[in-house]
Amino acid sequence: MRSRTGPVILAMSILAAMAACDSSPPDRSAPPPTTQVSGHPAEHQAGHQEEHQVEAAKSPTALAGQLQQYYAQHTLLAMRQMRSVLTATPAYRQAADKELEEYTEELAQIVAAKFGDAQGERFEQLWQGEIAHFSAYAEAVAGNDAAARQQARSDLLADADAYGDWLAGASGGRAQASGAAAAMRTHAEQLMEQADAYAAHDYDRAYRVERQGYEHMFAAGTDLARASLAPKAAATLDMPVEKLRAAFAMLLGEHMQLIIDTQRATFDGAPQFKAAAAQVNANSAALTKGMGVIVGPSKAGEFQEVWAHHVEGLLEYSTALASNDQAEKTAAREEMRGYGSRLALYLSDIVRNELPLKPLTEAWGAHDQHLVDQINAYAAKRYDEAQEMELDGYGQMLGLAGTILGAIQRTLSPQLPVGGSQTGGGGTAHRRR
Amino acid sequence: MTAGKARLAVGVAALLLLTGCAAGGRGAEPPPAAAARTTGSTAAGVDAARGFHSTRGYRATPVPVRIGIPAIGVTSSLDRLGRAPDKTVQVPSRWEVAGWYAPGTRPGDPGSAVILGHVDSKRGPAVFYRLRELRRGDLVEVARADGSTVRFAVQRTEQYDKRRFPTDEVYYPTLTPALRLVTCGGEFDATVGHYRSNIIVFATLRP
Repeated sequence: MRSRTGPVILAMSILAAMAACDSSPPDRSAPPPTTQVSGHPAEHQAGHQEEHQVEAAKSPTALAGQLQQYYAQHTLLAMRQMRSVLTATPAYRQAADKELEEYTEELAQIVAAKFGDAQGERFEQLWQGEIAHFSAYAEAVAGNDAAARQQARSDLLADADAYGDWLAGASGGRAQASGAAAAMRTHAEQLMEQADAYAAHDYDRAYRVERQGYEHMFAAGTDLARASLAPKAAATLDMPVEKLRAAFAMLLGEHMQLIIDTQRATFDGAPQFKAAAAQVNANSAALTKGMGVIVGPSKAGEFQEVWAHHVEGLLEYSTALASNDQAEKTAAREEMRGYGSRLALYLSDIVRNELPLKPLTEAWGAHDQHLVDQINAYAAKRYDEAQEMELDGYGQMLGLAGTILGAIQRTLSPQLPVGGSQTGGGGTAHRRR
Repeated sequence: MTAGKARLAVGVAALLLLTGCAAGGRGAEPPPAAAARTTGSTAAGVDAARGFHSTRGYRATPVPVRIGIPAIGVTSSLDRLGRAPDKTVQVPSRWEVAGWYAPGTRPGDPGSAVILGHVDSKRGPAVFYRLRELRRGDLVEVARADGSTVRFAVQRTEQYDKRRFPTDEVYYPTLTPALRLVTCGGEFDATVGHYRSNIIVFATLRP
């Protein structure tokens, strides 16, 4: 077992250190300092550190980032596991099961650190039960067993209620049982709906609901973090700076996951590919809109063009791989390198060189490499390895998102208007009181 | 080391560590036989993938040209505002006309669009004189240059001392479409000719 959230927390810690290096007055835009880094990078690189103890991040924002990552990734693993049942791909299911189990153990360790050992154990039981019921639901759908399907649905809704009760108790009332249960019911409904849609070959709906499910649980990760924090610390999660970081991390992580879906769907058929690719485009459109908020309309259009080449290069590679065309694969890799450099140049430019170009280019190259490696492994049916690459790549993407957003925050804040507005000059409004 | 160089050095370190997570060596390409799943499904998937085009043609949202707030009888064209040389926000040059902070969000886009208006002049009420009367659910309509209208619903109205103006809450980018209306309020300081507080209306996009 190893830490999945090291890069995210690491990036946040480094951003905090960067803010601390600045001699200027305290800046609300800077993330609060973290005092602990979970998941040493060397350990992460080594990859197979068994029995690694995952530590909960100490700063509220880093904790939120950690739990957003775990909840969102859990959702995608569960969806992929359910689809492996529907497509009768036992080797893929085995890989997804293994990752779900490890993810659950790691998540339970974080929960135990925040709420106490007994609560960690209870959480692990609940989570394992939910995963088993998702599997049971997929098996019932695959076997066309209406009674078993209804039973699994009832179990999942009961799981959601139990989660609500658990979180309300574990948090000492900071979270309300009804709200937490409702969030988990939505989660359960989304996973069942995507499985139903996938089994009915309604891939458009399956992939659309997948994306909604990912976004829903990313937000639920924030709620779990909030429930573990004192009110003052929890309030930092509602600050605009933190909301922007979370939103971009969600979108960039989603990009990574949707590319994986689409690369893999190339091997499954035209309807699956088109449905998955439509969600990639929806994500790219949302990212471009988001960039527009930060850099303005003209630069947003420039971002979209560079981003489009980035996305197309990744999918050209998997197309070449699926058709076993070596020359096309080589050309796709070349294109990816070229547009990785352009993307890094664009990002470095918008943050006014707060981030140096060379390592930024290399970080985007690492993102591409994860995606190439995962689809290579998937194509060769080395599903364990494909899952490992997926999870490593997701963590790296979120870490990179945090680093980029930190630089954006440092660039943006000095450009905002200072103080209030002088929008009155007569005293009339005062006198009427 | 200067603060700037120190930040840059740590930035390099952050990125190198993120790069260090790359797979490097693992995920080797599959042998041709393994990769070439020559099923009909894969062939169809490949054909579909060859036709893929990433989304392009980004079109900027039109700029706002007019604001209407039926609950307090406001209709006004909108001037474009920026940041003054002293880094404060520019304010409308006419008492009866509101202004849109143009370096920020366009109404309807993700983020908080900001529209400012005067509460009064020495002669009497100005365009946002009744802004503080707005209550949750009140409608704000913003017409845009292409003839479209975007609607917002008031969530809350707050008064802030100008020395503690919530800059991030008003101007900081978010990915949720919202609107902020800003005017003056509170005590009037006759010695400097300004109010001591701002009234801020927080509104969210209405579906």
